[in-house]
Amino acid sequence: MRIVIDILIVISLFFAFAGTVGIIRMPDEYCRMQSSTNVATLGVVGVIIGGLLYSIIYLGNVNMAVKLAVMGLFYIITNPIAGHAIAKGAYKHGVKACEQTTCDHYGEDMVKE
Amino acid sequence: MKKTSVAGVTSTAIVCYLFWLFITGQIVDIFRGKASAQVLIVGAIVAIGAAIFSSRFFIHEKAGFLWNPARLLNLIAYSLVIFPIELVKANVDVAKRALSPKLPVNPGFVKIPSKVKSEYGQAMLADSITLTPGTITMDITEEDGQTNYYIHWIDVASEDPQEAGEAIKGTLEKWVRRIWE
Repeated sequence: MRIVIDILIVISLFFAFAGTVGIIRMPDEYCRMQSSTNVATLGVVGVIIGGLLYSIIYLGNVNMAVKLAVMGLFYIITNPIAGHAIAKGAYKHGVKACEQTTCDHYGEDMVKE
Repeated sequence: MKKTSVAGVTSTAIVCYLFWLFITGQIVDIFRGKASAQVLIVGAIVAIGAAIFSSRFFIHEKAGFLWNPARLLNLIAYSLVIFPIELVKANVDVAKRALSPKLPVNPGFVKIPSKVKSEYGQAMLADSITLTPGTITMDITEEDGQTNYYIHWIDVASEDPQEAGEAIKGTLEKWVRRIWE
């Protein structure tokens, strides 16, 4: 069982690493946000599930496990709302997309209105 | 903004109270038979008070809408099986892109139509799309009764609204409609 917990935590560390590398390497702000979602989803959820199993099986502390589950749930619910607000705010503020951007239907429709 | 209704206050209060039970750890003590009456009563009073003031921000449609076994089962299946599978697939894809030496990105803002009518369903679909790495919902607009999502997509496979929509939210939309309609 200990091995399963360790594998979960290592997998989520790998995704957190990939997300961080992506934040540094991606060409513009929007792509960086995409990469940061990597850290925010599997990077966090894996650690939370690993900690949940560890606290039930090895510490025998169900209270801690319940709190971890609630933390994970609220993390998943609130994270996309912030991401959505940041992306829209960046666009309205005039942050330029990078040169590789193929199409911009959002900008075209905003100009029409 | 809607008026405060009894059903809305009740449902908000129940959710607040459940959250209180979970966060104070009383839910475990109840099953062990040693819950503290003081904590339970204070929680109930605060939950009802908070619900009276805040339910009109949360409940915009029928309050007991989700209180239906078929919908609840669909919701559980969606959040424990269907969505995690999509999430892992997208995570692997974006991680590969970030780590590969050539950095193969092909980003763009695409517009996709959506058939979801309910307000909760729209919010849930938008959040699901944002939560999958590779796609972020920028805006939701409504014109001529047709709801459109504007999405920043890291790998634009197709600029056509229908095809892009199928690629981004194919299975997700099917399940969201099954839950909320």
